[in-house]
Amino acid sequence: MNIGIKDLTDSRDTVNKWLSRYGVRFGVYKNNTFNEQLFPFDSVPRIISKSDWDYLEKGLCQRVEALNKFLWDIYHEKNIIKDGIVPEEFVYSSKGYTPECEGISPMGGVYAHIAGIDLVEGKDNKWYVLEDNLRIPSGASYPMIARQITRRVSPSTFAAYAVAENRDYADLLRQMMDDMNDGRGIAVILTPGRYNSAYFEHSYLAEKVGATLAYPGDLTVENNNVYYTGIGQERTRVGCIYRRVSDEYLDPLVFEASSLLGIPNVMQAYKAGNVALINAIGNGVADDKGIYYFVPKMVEYYLGEKPILQNAPTYLPYFKDDYNYVLSNISKLVIKDVSEAGGYGVVFGKDLSEEKLTELKNLIIEQPRRWIAQEVIDFKDLEILEGDELVWRKADLRAFVVSGKETKVWRSGLTRFSRNPTSFVVNSSQGGGFKDTWVMEE
Amino acid sequence: MVRSTVISPTKANTLFWLGRYEERVYLTLHQLRKCYDKMIDGAPEDYQTFWSKLDAMGMYQTNDEFTLGMMYDKTYPCSVIAAQTKAMDNAILLREDIMSESLSYIEMSVALMNECKEKSEKNVICLQPIIDWSLAFWGAAEQYLQNHNALNIMMTGRNIENLDMQVRFGYSYERVQLAFDSLKRYRQQKHDFFDTEVVGELESMLKKELFDINNIAYKNRLLTSINKLAKV
Repeated sequence: MNIGIKDLTDSRDTVNKWLSRYGVRFGVYKNNTFNEQLFPFDSVPRIISKSDWDYLEKGLCQRVEALNKFLWDIYHEKNIIKDGIVPEEFVYSSKGYTPECEGISPMGGVYAHIAGIDLVEGKDNKWYVLEDNLRIPSGASYPMIARQITRRVSPSTFAAYAVAENRDYADLLRQMMDDMNDGRGIAVILTPGRYNSAYFEHSYLAEKVGATLAYPGDLTVENNNVYYTGIGQERTRVGCIYRRVSDEYLDPLVFEASSLLGIPNVMQAYKAGNVALINAIGNGVADDKGIYYFVPKMVEYYLGEKPILQNAPTYLPYFKDDYNYVLSNISKLVIKDVSEAGGYGVVFGKDLSEEKLTELKNLIIEQPRRWIAQEVIDFKDLEILEGDELVWRKADLRAFVVSGKETKVWRSGLTRFSRNPTSFVVNSSQGGGFKDTWVMEE
Repeated sequence: MVRSTVISPTKANTLFWLGRYEERVYLTLHQLRKCYDKMIDGAPEDYQTFWSKLDAMGMYQTNDEFTLGMMYDKTYPCSVIAAQTKAMDNAILLREDIMSESLSYIEMSVALMNECKEKSEKNVICLQPIIDWSLAFWGAAEQYLQNHNALNIMMTGRNIENLDMQVRFGYSYERVQLAFDSLKRYRQQKHDFFDTEVVGELESMLKKELFDINNIAYKNRLLTSINKLAKV
């Protein structure tokens, strides 16, 4: 280990104390109780070389561009279905497909303004995309604030290495929100409230971006315009809402009627083009685990290019060949329920008893559309500090792609790792920690 | 992007109560230090008046119970930890206004409070950093809270709490009048959320010739007016 990194490992506890000082936490609901936990930070960064990053950056831009075109197509002409590239049942039976969005045209054709693309680096040195998150991807604030602190705590390390700046995420976000707002009014970040698992992120991003943090009830719609209402009935128009509220709760008059988290009639304002919603409504259809299989095909279809980034080898039991393969090889595959997220609904065949495997097979036979199966990628472990010892653990990378008038990849990302030596599941809600991601300038 | 200067009613409420609770932490610790000092060598009649002013009469049976309870009993609304927790509950909703730097002082105070509670630290000196951080918080908030109206609302909460505690602890006319004058500086031309009628009530009660802080009925009338002064 070189001296610079040793500086960082020595400072781990100091950095974690500073993270605690700034209230860097996430919330977890367990047994109907809300608990806030510190998100354990490991000070040994993931390091990505310039050449790897150049490759990833191109691939990520390409992928997100194709996904945005797919979303436009699905809610307008549907050419990709007509041309037989994506079977219609995968679109219309997706929980994320939102008929209410048919014909709505978000500004610039951008649906996924903020895309969180989950990748892993295989032991074959290839990067694989595991998942596209196009609804409300979270996590950028953690490496952002961790970098701020580690630079303070270990200045000599950063003086010695040419690490790309990552504290500019707020600038990327602000620029994109300004692009989408187009001078119509103020920009707000809409949070469901303090008891949301990502509340720290909502408030921290509002602080850094300079947006107003709005709570349910602060926003109203009148004559198809959205307003932020202040004391004394003072009102100001809202031009852009970076909403951290799920689609189904966003407008109780259109979606879940019992929602207290949304803004009644916001869909009307959105349809009229009077407010930008970030991300757009209806994106769930493109980050559906079943649709994931078709993303490389979308790249070819919409952009006429070979996909730069690869998916993990994936099987859809919906297709006969894949169905047979999955049922015959289930014990060596990872099976994912397409309707789940956050690390839930993911099972490794190798971990299941014969009885459980049979149960799972029966579920796949009953509802083949509900499942996807993937080869277990032997992805690279990363070093983490456990006590005073360096150990190897599974880790992924969530890269953030921000699309306004231009599509830009944030030169960093959230590296999450499993603290369990035998686990591949890295989600914070499952006990994982996080690292900073260093993209090297040279 | 320019942050809006409009303050929602919920935010106004949160700012006000952050001001009150954070000041309560500071002033309760200040009073407790005086009370604990008396308890070192005084007889109960010397210090139980403090207990009554802190509304702690009947809550605790022994000096030790009182000492620990006033600091760490989360279920007792007058304890330092209860006020600190409430201050935190409000501050956490205001990060983008007061900024992480200001919020960090309250975060550290809560962490220290919990750590001392865990160790059942009886000596109030262990909480001295909370007093320092409270002062640092006010300085930071004034520096970072760029919305003048929002700062006014928070400072109104702080000054109402100060006035309330001064009356509760039977401070002199001059001190109470000074606290009231100090509070009135935060009245605003636009969106004045002071209740004008109540301001008038207080002005008529706070006259040197009428001031009778040892009279329970008078004192209660003062406290009632102080606590309905702000329309939040």
